[in-house]
Amino acid sequence: MSVSIIISVLLGIGFGYVILPEYILQYTDVIIDIGLCVLLFFVGIDIGTNKDIFNQIKKMGLKILLIPIMIIIGSIVGSIIAGVILDLPINESGAIGAGFGWYTLSAMILASESTKLSALAFITNVVREIIALVSIPFIAKYIGDIESIAPAGATAMDTSLPVISKSTNAKTSIISFITGVILSTAVPILVPFILNVLD
Amino acid sequence: MRLILYLCILGIGILIGYNELGIDKLKRQLLKIQNISLLFLLFVMGIRIGADKKVITSFAELGYQAIVISSFSILFSIILVKFVRGFVTKGNDKEEMKNEC
Repeated sequence: MSVSIIISVLLGIGFGYVILPEYILQYTDVIIDIGLCVLLFFVGIDIGTNKDIFNQIKKMGLKILLIPIMIIIGSIVGSIIAGVILDLPINESGAIGAGFGWYTLSAMILASESTKLSALAFITNVVREIIALVSIPFIAKYIGDIESIAPAGATAMDTSLPVISKSTNAKTSIISFITGVILSTAVPILVPFILNVLD
Repeated sequence: MRLILYLCILGIGILIGYNELGIDKLKRQLLKIQNISLLFLLFVMGIRIGADKKVITSFAELGYQAIVISSFSILFSIILVKFVRGFVTKGNDKEEMKNEC
């Protein structure tokens, strides 16, 4: 899937750069808006079908929620600090950080704001996923099991989960999955929220 | 306004998924539609990036910014998780030890 994602974006870039007549561009706003709604609907279905998540949270205790909460705060604060260093508006860098590695959705939400911001969100969250996949085994070994969930962000429930599972233990894998579901739910809420509130 | 719309759509999706309203039969088709619409949307997003010459010329700069932002996000997440890990795992570890006994 990730190869098809990269190919789709690259094909689009090539099409837009070489062929596209200007008049089609005005319709891309509407297409992205409608498409985003369709995408969010499917994201909702995915989250809703994970019923067991509530039982798992109950079983492990509500304090388990501190892990996703800390990842949310850490990701947003970290990206805002990076934004200050890079001289970017803090609402934009904060919104990018609130993508938590979910590059497709965060980039799509920000596409209606600005193309440059959307492109930066896409690349930043792709880079986050790559860093996560490479660093998780080392973080699990030298820092701690639970800490290895942190770089994965929203991908802790899907693409990063096999790496976390292999590098840690069953309990950490369950916490990772719960964290991923919560962060995935937070992305469509926090990205527009931070963009508007910190503006 | 946009956020409310996103929340409503997400909520409707969650309700349908939770109650499995016709989801089982349509699961395979839904996954197909989801993948196709996602790839099409990414293609459209790519078109916008390609048509914006400013974005194309600043790709190297965007790459540098992306590495800095993602590294800081990850670093701060790890630090904060480390900060609460003792509290989160405390009871569970005791329980596990009890179970082992």
